Amino acid sequence: MLVLKNIHKEFNTTGNPEDLVVALDDVSLTIEEGEFVTIIGTNGSGKSTTMNIITGAMMPDRGQIFLNGADITHMNEHERARYYGRVFQDPMMGTATEMSVLENLEVAYRKGKVHSPFKWGFSKQEKEYFINELKKFDLGIEEKLNKKVGTMSGGQRQALTLLMATMRNLPSHNRIRKEYVYFAEGDKHKAKEEVETGYKLAKDKYLKAKLAIKNDKSLTSQQRKEQLKQAYETFDSEVRKFDVTKPILLLDEHTAALDPKTAKKVLEITDKIVHESKMTALMITHNMADALKYGNRLIMFAHGKIVLDISGEEKAKMQVNDLYNLFQVQNNIE
Amino acid sequence: MDILNLIRLVLSSGLPCCLLAIGVFLTFRILDFADMTAEGSLLLGGSTCVVMLFNGVPAPIATICGMLVGGACGFITGCLNRLLKIPKLLSGIITMTASASLALLILGFSKTPFRFTSLVTLTDQKTIFSFLPASIFKGWQIPIVTSAIVILMIFVIYFFFGTEYGMAIRATGINERMAKAQGINTTVTTIACTTISNSLIGLAGALICQIEASMNTASATGYLVVGLASILIGETVFGKRSFKNSLISICLGSIVYFTIISLATFVFHMPSELSKILYAVLIVLALCLPMIKEGIMKLWNKIFKKKTVEVK
Repeated sequence: MLVLKNIHKEFNTTGNPEDLVVALDDVSLTIEEGEFVTIIGTNGSGKSTTMNIITGAMMPDRGQIFLNGADITHMNEHERARYYGRVFQDPMMGTATEMSVLENLEVAYRKGKVHSPFKWGFSKQEKEYFINELKKFDLGIEEKLNKKVGTMSGGQRQALTLLMATMRNLPSHNRIRKEYVYFAEGDKHKAKEEVETGYKLAKDKYLKAKLAIKNDKSLTSQQRKEQLKQAYETFDSEVRKFDVTKPILLLDEHTAALDPKTAKKVLEITDKIVHESKMTALMITHNMADALKYGNRLIMFAHGKIVLDISGEEKAKMQVNDLYNLFQVQNNIE
Repeated sequence: MDILNLIRLVLSSGLPCCLLAIGVFLTFRILDFADMTAEGSLLLGGSTCVVMLFNGVPAPIATICGMLVGGACGFITGCLNRLLKIPKLLSGIITMTASASLALLILGFSKTPFRFTSLVTLTDQKTIFSFLPASIFKGWQIPIVTSAIVILMIFVIYFFFGTEYGMAIRATGINERMAKAQGINTTVTTIACTTISNSLIGLAGALICQIEASMNTASATGYLVVGLASILIGETVFGKRSFKNSLISICLGSIVYFTIISLATFVFHMPSELSKILYAVLIVLALCLPMIKEGIMKLWNKIFKKKTVEVK
């Protein structure tokens, strides 16, 4: 759950009072887990500023941001990055163009982990994983793994950025336990007790199962190996139940710079990923039809305020024309 | 002058500059940071090394200390830029300016009692090249030891920039917003890269002072330009397809640069007063090389592939 509480942001505060721009005017917004929110609004209405404040690229003048139960208003951008996946409007922005596709993916795969100066940055397993994921896009990127990203088309780059934003190197058990407490709502001590007992139970069960398998003389070494692996997987999945920080996908007009056909394809891929992984997603778009077609909640910004917030049935009933009229009324367009 | 001697001279002056050029390359190309610290860290690295040798410290330790002092200069530049938000170019210039006085201070430790000095000359102190007996190698010990160090450093740098952290540094240099969005602490990566780059330059300074057996406060002037020229010549002549390719190209570029200069001074007996003009011309040539290359290709196509143009 992502909560913006009375966020206020002004630009040009030091100059001439006439130049003062109120980008966000006391905006409050709550996004539940699993929601796919589309955001529309004119240029300068505060959509991108909201996104920049969520990611930490900008600091709000007033107000707070909560991720689950934790106040992250003053958390650095790079520390927050592990809770977000971000795709920019400019296809050049989301990737390092001078690095190869593989290198870009490897960098993205280390998100939220310690970058070790002693560990070689590539591995065979990871490469296979990337190839598998890229094949799903059906854009032929998997054949260009060693090519520089700069040589690829805008659509391919956005698809690559999308993968970099959505794939996840699972956090370690320690991290899960720590974050469960950090992001807990209400009593942190209770949360700590809860996660520690849960972890201990799972671990005890795993150790017992391990011992039993090791002592079982009737098994062949192959069977033993498989059963041990299985036991670990059950343990792992039980611990992962406490994983509260599924990344939120932030899409900042990510199809605006693409041709209509590619834009459609990238949007479809986006929709598929969001549905399959049940990610929480925020998508800024200028296309009313797309805003209605995708997602289950729609927000309209005008003059730094949220002027429309519909979801579910109400959104499903909304027609493009109605939305367009509403858009014009809100922005005082004749 | 016979050819063997010329080669020895070129290698003796060119090889330490490979390290310098790689150092400049790491900030200039990889980090996209126009780092003016180079001359400062070269000077301080050399001064530290020469003073330690003068006071009887074993050569390997003195060389490593020179490297560390160079790295410290880079660390300060990185901190000025990242923590105090001083523009990149300016933070390098600030460190370079301070280093001129610091060098006088460091070189002063060669006098008892302490006195600010601008020149220290080694007499019979052992340098890192004294490990190979001069009677057998006859002057070749310098190219042998330096090339070993250069090759070692190329390997270290190549592997470092292939590690997880090295890739994070490269991503920072290419696209800082992307790096931040991927959870990379760009403040630390920038400072780390300027530190690594300048420790290489400090090492180059330490080697240069041992080759020349002296160090004065003016001897580092002009080396930044040498480093840049080596990068430009290397990249245009030998290519920059990949990171590995770039590293090797730059080293070869530095050798080519010193070959031209040595030919001019020793074979064509150019008066040393005119040497700066030659440097300037060389750099202009290096900068224009891509254009010249393109022009030649166009001319080539015009003469030999006229038919294909007509078909179009």
